[in-house]
Amino acid sequence: MSTPRPLTLIVNGEPRALQVEPRTTLLDALRERLDLTGTKKGCDHGQCGACTLHVDGERVLACLTLAQQAEGRRITTIEGLAGPDGTLHAVQKAFLAEDAFQCGYCTPGQIMSAVACIREGHAGSAAEIREFMAGNLCRCGAYPHIVAAVQRAARALEQETLA
Amino acid sequence: MSPLDAPVKRGGAGDGLPVLGAALARLDGVAKLEGSARFALDQPVEGLAHAVLLRATIAAGRVTRIDAAAAEAAPGVLAVLTPDNTAPLAAASSWTGAPPAQPQYRPLDAEIFHHGQQIAAVVAETLEQAQEAARLILVDYEAVPAITGLDDPRAGDGDPIDMLSKSWGDAAAALDKAAVRLTLEYRTPREFNMPIEPHGLIAQWDGEELTLWEPSQWLDGMARTYAEWFGLRFDQVRIVSPYIGGGFGSKALALPHGAVAAMAARQLGRPVKLALTRSQTFTGLGGRPATRQVLEIGATAGGRLLAIRQRGWNETSMNAVSVEPLGSVTGLMYALPNFDSRQNVVPVHTVQPGAKRAPGENPSAFGLESAIDELAHAVGQDPLALRLLNDAEHDHSSGKPWSTRKLREALAAGAVAFGWDRRDPMPRSMRDGHLLIGWGMAAGTYPVRRTAGEALVGILADGSVEVASSTADMGTGAHTILAQTAAEALGLPVERVQVRLGDSRLPRAPVTGGSQMAGLMTGAVHKAALAAREVLIGLALSDPRSPLRGTGANTLRLEGGMLVAPDGTAYDVSAVLKATGRERVEALRDTLAENRLKPEDHYRNFTTVSTMRAPTDGDYSMHSWCAHFVEVAVDEALQTIRLRRVVSAFDSGRLYNPKLAASQWKGGIVMGIGQALLEEGLVDHRHARLMNDNLGDYLLPTNADIPEIEVIDVGEPDPHASALGGKAVGELGIVGVAPAIANALFHATGKRLRSLPLTGQRLAEAG
Repeated sequence: MSTPRPLTLIVNGEPRALQVEPRTTLLDALRERLDLTGTKKGCDHGQCGACTLHVDGERVLACLTLAQQAEGRRITTIEGLAGPDGTLHAVQKAFLAEDAFQCGYCTPGQIMSAVACIREGHAGSAAEIREFMAGNLCRCGAYPHIVAAVQRAARALEQETLA
Repeated sequence: MSPLDAPVKRGGAGDGLPVLGAALARLDGVAKLEGSARFALDQPVEGLAHAVLLRATIAAGRVTRIDAAAAEAAPGVLAVLTPDNTAPLAAASSWTGAPPAQPQYRPLDAEIFHHGQQIAAVVAETLEQAQEAARLILVDYEAVPAITGLDDPRAGDGDPIDMLSKSWGDAAAALDKAAVRLTLEYRTPREFNMPIEPHGLIAQWDGEELTLWEPSQWLDGMARTYAEWFGLRFDQVRIVSPYIGGGFGSKALALPHGAVAAMAARQLGRPVKLALTRSQTFTGLGGRPATRQVLEIGATAGGRLLAIRQRGWNETSMNAVSVEPLGSVTGLMYALPNFDSRQNVVPVHTVQPGAKRAPGENPSAFGLESAIDELAHAVGQDPLALRLLNDAEHDHSSGKPWSTRKLREALAAGAVAFGWDRRDPMPRSMRDGHLLIGWGMAAGTYPVRRTAGEALVGILADGSVEVASSTADMGTGAHTILAQTAAEALGLPVERVQVRLGDSRLPRAPVTGGSQMAGLMTGAVHKAALAAREVLIGLALSDPRSPLRGTGANTLRLEGGMLVAPDGTAYDVSAVLKATGRERVEALRDTLAENRLKPEDHYRNFTTVSTMRAPTDGDYSMHSWCAHFVEVAVDEALQTIRLRRVVSAFDSGRLYNPKLAASQWKGGIVMGIGQALLEEGLVDHRHARLMNDNLGDYLLPTNADIPEIEVIDVGEPDPHASALGGKAVGELGIVGVAPAIANALFHATGKRLRSLPLTGQRLAEAG
């Protein structure tokens, strides 16, 4: 149970070798071993959404995923969302424009969920966004602005696609 | 142009508005969006050991034995701390500065006062090893019966808190003569702050210097507590809290788990990281205590208030007195000739309650603003009209005039935006298909609290400006509004200002609580910035190397980064500093004198709340005001209650950044919606144990619970409230939300619920 094993995770396009125990979660592996602290621990029980990241492009709760389950799969964290030149993703820009965060702690999870929410085609209306963003708690209460940011980002991404 | 690029204003200069007051985006925003903002537990500290806490499984009694042999032998374990093997710390004085009742403090204590109390800690090389070892510890207890809450017959009536007694006129006589008399009881449950960042810290010793990376709403107050616990000088403790993942009142004081982390780090000679689990954030610290209040209201048949008599109770822990003042707003909102309010605190076996957003004002307003709605119904009047009828021209509790009170304006603006005049006053009269629709409203208020602040403003040779203070930005927008303040005072673009906060080595700041931060810190930064400007101008006029010395000017203006002489000669600030061989000029200023304090009050001012001024200290009574209008839809078959829309109007005085102020107001409303409809700490009354100590069972509002929220600003600068005219923002929004929803629920269903939260089950039980 407690014997560490070598493991390679592909995080934000880069292979990262590390030794973790089988019981180590993807969240703790990223935060405590790889110094990728943008992904936050809010509850460690899959109840708050703060640790949301993408595995093979789909939103996943890193606290409910063992690091070894993610071996060989493409992991994208908040640190890997902006362009290689640092240009913010459309969702990040929209969160700034709409002031869709206050303390910023749930924000990486909100943004990763929002990117997936749009990609999944669940940003069609405010009601739909509220439902498909409901797994990410924000205690500062930025929800109305998060909805506005997702709508704004969805429009921008649609324009980019059309262009 | 992409829709993304339009409304993000990063500077105020280009839009014709003054910098202070412009709706700028957060200056600390990009770091939070990129994931590069390192919160306390994200800090890369070499050689970290990980600590986890073990908690008591009884609520009252004592630990008789802890068998930690298996844990100590488990892989990676460095130490197991227990009541038996840890020495007591010195007890610290309270947040008011009152000396401790006992000389010693045991953060790991064999005496048990509540279920979930920390009793041991395991430190190991990895988090997983510490968690595993903690499960191997065996504990024996001697349990005694516990008092489980306000309704436990053994709890009794509690102890009167004389400080909270208020009265004027003759409430008893006025009630006896009143044409209309209502006696109403309101209750609120145990509520929890639940910031998404759990409480926790990294503690590191370097000789007799203790560094703590810990989220803090009050770095200086917490540093004092740690210093007193460990027998250190104040300057031997450094707290670093660069960002705070939400606090809402819960991160202002040093807590027992912090003492354990620092003890472990000292014992091991290694930095120790200790984060509370989510469950432990329900038992390691308290939120709003459960409350009960009885209001007796007397009025004329026409609805004019004659008297209120109030009796209140809040629970506290067995070993500390926490008060949730239920009379905070009862005598303040309306013209009330006779008032009598008293309050008891009732010790029960729970963790010591803390401060949750608007402690006092919030449950106080739930009682009063529900009762006013009940009175309106009883006398057949519109609840908005009844409030206007009873509007207070001055503060009846202090006898002083209001500094500013735009409550009438808030009520009017909210009513118009909501469409209140289309409301049918009859309960159960408005429908949407099979749904019952209810429109309700309530008012709220929050006082202007004032403590002196301190700030350093430096003007640098590269033309940039640095603002530094130990104050905290937990999402309030301190970084942004303090940059705006300095930019405005110095006539510079806001992009040139760097704001450094959240380190106790920086100039001092009092607690970021009581919604006082913006008012006091903008005042301190403004003062320091003007002083730095004077230093710069003095240098430019008097230094022989200054290019402006030869102009013969008596004074200079500072505009757009240029020092300008009356004859029009102008030099860039950085050119003047470079010519005079300076890297920077700076000024450190505090506002002690403006708050009638002396230099010797400095330490006390920043490390206790003893110098915080009451809203009535001075010639005026100073408060922020608000009015909420809400619509609910009730499906009686399914007993579901859904909130459909919220319109709220606010008077917070001058807004330093309306975009960020709106976020604070809305955040308060969202937390109020959670309080009204969802949040309730449920106690197992057999064991005095909190049953729903997780975010799946203690329900916070989700995005899907929150409808559109419209906020309206009706404030104007209040010259008495603060140096630059602002009043309270952060805690105002939550006050009055729960009663507005309860009033809407009554309008929808004809059923009056007087206990929070307003659930379908309570609606069903109401018949």
